[in-house]
Amino acid sequence: MNVMTTCALRKQKLVSQIITFIFIGIVGAPISGVLQKTYAADTEAASAATPLNTLSPLLDDLYTVLSISFVAILFGIACAFYLQEWLPQTNWVRRFIESVVAILGGVPSIFYGILAIGIFFTDAGTLKTVGIVRGPQDIGDGSALGPLSFQYDTPVFYIVVLTFILMVTPMTIKTTQAALRSVATPIREATYALGASHWQVLRRQVIPIALTRILATGCRAMSSALATVALIFGIYIWQYTNGPREMSNRFILFLSGALFLSIFSSVLIKLCASASADPTHPTR
Amino acid sequence: MKNKIEISDLQVHYRDTSALNKVSFDVHENEILGIIGPAQSGKTTLLKVINRTLEFVPEASMDGTVKLDGVDISTMGDIYGLRRRIGMVLPLPVGLPLSIYDNVAFAPRAAGLRSKSQLDELVERCLQQAALWDEVKDRLSTLGTKLSGGQQQRLTIARALSHQPEVLCLDEFSIAIDPVTTMRIEEVLKTLQKEMTILLVTNLVQQAKRLATRTAFFLNGDLIEIDSTDVIFSDTPAQQATYDYINGTFG
Ligand SMILES: Nc1ncnc2c1ncn2[C@@H]1O[C@H](COP(=O)(O)OP(=O)(O)O)[C@@H](O)[C@H]1O
Ligand SMILES: [Mg+2]
Repeated sequence: MNVMTTCALRKQKLVSQIITFIFIGIVGAPISGVLQKTYAADTEAASAATPLNTLSPLLDDLYTVLSISFVAILFGIACAFYLQEWLPQTNWVRRFIESVVAILGGVPSIFYGILAIGIFFTDAGTLKTVGIVRGPQDIGDGSALGPLSFQYDTPVFYIVVLTFILMVTPMTIKTTQAALRSVATPIREATYALGASHWQVLRRQVIPIALTRILATGCRAMSSALATVALIFGIYIWQYTNGPREMSNRFILFLSGALFLSIFSSVLIKLCASASADPTHPTR
Repeated sequence: MKNKIEISDLQVHYRDTSALNKVSFDVHENEILGIIGPAQSGKTTLLKVINRTLEFVPEASMDGTVKLDGVDISTMGDIYGLRRRIGMVLPLPVGLPLSIYDNVAFAPRAAGLRSKSQLDELVERCLQQAALWDEVKDRLSTLGTKLSGGQQQRLTIARALSHQPEVLCLDEFSIAIDPVTTMRIEEVLKTLQKEMTILLVTNLVQQAKRLATRTAFFLNGDLIEIDSTDVIFSDTPAQQATYDYINGTFG
């Protein structure tokens, strides 16, 4: 009977991996299509100069990116809790999602950046019709050009949101699960042995212990979201404007935001490592 | 004599390895049952079955019945209530990352006790029973994990007593404690015996000899022998293996 179960488990794992690859294929096909289109993109229309940015739309964009990634991170944390704390390790949904996450989470974020760039700058015509950006082409006379910024309620905007979720969520799920796993089993067992319910164990032990790491996780994911957007703007500057000055405010804002968040998350991790100076080796 | 726990045909497998094979015995009320045996003989597994924490080990499967006060524990709906009736002390001290006070007050709070004065009283009593009160009474708000290994182990004992269990299971509790403290706790166990039933898993056979009313000898998942401690430690226990193990001429 035992041999049978091991066999069945292995089969289940194989099936979930195959499904994952198919899934990746489904997602991957449009990405490569977009990349091809990018290559053939018409850069002519965008070559007109953009004016210096004002602060308000700049913060607008930051706000948009932060809120999208915030939602994606919350979603990822919720998923991780559900997978790690409620589903048994042998559950096929959990195995499937974990395989997807393992693969998506391993993709460097620059690929998502390229995907987003592809969508942003497909070609001038598309840009204009779908109105993803309020760019140079939108205004006729060139003297009152609006700055480039996100435009909501367009299909492409939602694709960008999806890109973010695709990038941020797996990262968050993976690291949050690791944080939850890091709460030592003896602590859980000891708490259960005291007659605590699952929810009490989570609220009183697991969450307080894992919280710092989960926060650090969120910061890191947000940092990579900002870095990706900075990359998009960077490429925009490089490709579509005459001088480096026009978009550089935004580029620098996002890049420094990303840098700040990643340093902040490292500090958090450092802090929690020293705070929880391991209970298995008492000091005195 | 009344039976507190009745175990019949208990079998536990971890995937391919079998940890307990068809074990049957009873634990009498208000006795200290010493459980001895070499490592890997299924002692810890037995305790996990009794407080139903074996359910957290996904690869474990169980067969047979365990009755507490005549009720099959696998049919009990309130599993948290069951665990509160059983105090568990694990071999390595696990200080919950809470203050000393909160460590001990955790279980009563989880069970719904809110009154500050009652909690204070309970915490003091449990810490005293665990022979820890004098050392920590001035710093109840420091982290439990900041205590020394031996102190943490006594904190675990105080915690196990905090929900006033009917059965107290101790799994090699003296591993991290010095001999003097061990002696103090052994004295406490003797007095606790009047209030509760104690299952004392120990790797020190002399500890079982000092404390236990009856002693069970486990070997590779089999219950070799269970009898009154005098018989087990005499020159003529029923099984030769028991004699060999106790006298250190095993194998
Ligand atoms: N979580 C586990 N997974 C697989 N095997 C286990 C697990 N826990 C215990 N075992 C096995 O069960 C047997 C009994 O172990 P245990 O109950 O810990 O014995 P003891 O407490 O007497 O040392 C051993 O062979 C051990 O390897
Ligand atoms: Mg053991």
